[in-house]
Amino acid sequence: MRSSPRYKLSKAAIKAWRVSTALFILFIILIPLVLWLIYFLQSGGDEFSQWTLITVAVTLLIIGALGIFFIPEIRWQRWYYEVDEHEIDLQSGIMIITRTLVPVKRVQHVDTRQGPILRSYGLADVTISTAATTHRIPALDMETADEVRDQISKFARLAKEDV
Amino acid sequence: MFESQRQHPAAAVAKALDIIKGNFITIVFIIFLGGGGDRADFTLYWILGTIICLLIWGVISWYRFTFRISDGELQIEQGVVVHKKLYLTADRIQVIDISAGIVQRLFGLVAVEVKTAGSTSKDAKISAISREKAEELKTLLRKKSSEDVEEYIPDEKKLVYSLDSHDLLIAATTSGRLGVALSIVGAVFSQVDQLFTEQQIFNFVEANIPHSTSVSIIIFSVIGIFLISWVLSFITTIIQYYDFSVEVKEDELLITRGLFEKTQLTIPFNRIQAVQIKEELLRQPFGYASLVIESAGYGETQGNSTTLFPLIGKEKIYHFINEVIPEYSTELTPGKSRLSRRALRRYLLRMVWFSLIFIAIAWSSIPYGVYSWFILIPALLLGYWQYYDAGVNSDGNTLILSSRLVSKTTAIVKKYRMQSVEIKQNPFQTRLNLSNFTVSVASGNQGRSFTVRELGQQQAYRHLEWISNGKKGLSNHP
Repeated sequence: MRSSPRYKLSKAAIKAWRVSTALFILFIILIPLVLWLIYFLQSGGDEFSQWTLITVAVTLLIIGALGIFFIPEIRWQRWYYEVDEHEIDLQSGIMIITRTLVPVKRVQHVDTRQGPILRSYGLADVTISTAATTHRIPALDMETADEVRDQISKFARLAKEDV
Repeated sequence: MFESQRQHPAAAVAKALDIIKGNFITIVFIIFLGGGGDRADFTLYWILGTIICLLIWGVISWYRFTFRISDGELQIEQGVVVHKKLYLTADRIQVIDISAGIVQRLFGLVAVEVKTAGSTSKDAKISAISREKAEELKTLLRKKSSEDVEEYIPDEKKLVYSLDSHDLLIAATTSGRLGVALSIVGAVFSQVDQLFTEQQIFNFVEANIPHSTSVSIIIFSVIGIFLISWVLSFITTIIQYYDFSVEVKEDELLITRGLFEKTQLTIPFNRIQAVQIKEELLRQPFGYASLVIESAGYGETQGNSTTLFPLIGKEKIYHFINEVIPEYSTELTPGKSRLSRRALRRYLLRMVWFSLIFIAIAWSSIPYGVYSWFILIPALLLGYWQYYDAGVNSDGNTLILSSRLVSKTTAIVKKYRMQSVEIKQNPFQTRLNLSNFTVSVASGNQGRSFTVRELGQQQAYRHLEWISNGKKGLSNHP
């Protein structure tokens, strides 16, 4: 049986994920809140809708707390990647563990991406596209991301010349 | 030919029909939405109006469409609202397809479709010109390359497989399209209450089948829906696969098919990404299967699953593959590598969950829903069958995966065509040492993946290892 890939993501990924989940949760909570306000102003609010909304809000809070405080940590712990001249090896997943192998030869293009949150933590995603699938190594240090990207592109080029 | 010219006016009708065909579902939707009123004649006006609008559009687009050949280029100018000019150089043109649909045949015309590697063929389609003109066009555009083509044609041995009418009938009778047809019939049935009231239906049934109870009505209508769906799928299969033939050429396959509209498909060998053997539920007992190939984009955007042969006896399959696509010929069978007994439990449980959801819905919402418990029996049998048919095996450069959802699918994939491999485990699977094994190949723009569920973890990793070690095998291929 194959051992896990060697490298881990940047530790700062945890913080970045916390922030982005927090923003997302805030957005999701805001919508029912606004809806409730509209409803409340229109009809004076009846018992049923109030309780539904409270239940929804509490559930969201619990999910939110889990998503912000626990999941990023576990996600980081379970993420491994490795790139060599033959293949890209990825392993991830909190509950469902996914192991992906991409032959470097099949890579069509690689790019790095960063949104505002990742940028503020000096991180970037590496996205790898083949003719059939797209894979992502999330939240690497910017230098590492650049390095990985260049490496993959170099390996892919070498592998293709080999054919 | 060298002057700018228009198509035959029949192109206007062809264009209108093309639009209807391309947007069939949308149009049906609009008609039902617009005709939602109580009066049937309103729906009629609605349909007539749509047809007239389309015809006007067709006439304008016919008027705006001109083509000519100059300097070895095919120049097409077209567009009703946006004016488009398309210039195709003769030596860039890869395939010239000449076909004839219903409209074209009515007027004794043909359609010419010019395909290059890059452009979408829709723009470079002259939908109605006379056959002589089409041939002239073809010779003019082929002039340059024709000399070197001529050289090897004589010694090329022509290998053609075609579907005879006996097999076509079997294919149509056992076609697996029941699902699609069922949904169409279902949609039509759901509109019935707009045309008739419940009392009218009741009276109709009472008059024709006296002494019927609601049970027998339900049974009869279920049988009726199945029958209509079957007839529909029978007809569509005949239309689609009539006169089906595969011709093996130097470096490509030429597939011809169709009753009203002859379709020709050219698939270069090096574009083929995987081969699937599909054993549909109704065909398996008779020992028949169909062959499907996945091919990477060829000037077309959508995913490319092409039927290579609609019906073939199981014992002939490997011989056929050997003759037509020798690259994929293999001695491998997935049978040697059965899943472990642990997997069976998960296959059965999964079917139980699915049927429980169905039963819960049926029980609570339709009369006699209690009987839906009986669905557990076929569901469990199917679960066992899925377990029995699943397997992976590899040898040399070839990986073969078989699995069943309802129909059994066996995929033959080459190591050097694989885009990625994936092993997935949820916590329950980890406990039982099982995993889902997925291989992806390119097909159209999205790619296609083949999955075998509940494969033993060791076995899955062995295959992963096999794929990752095959680096040398990769470079052997041209």
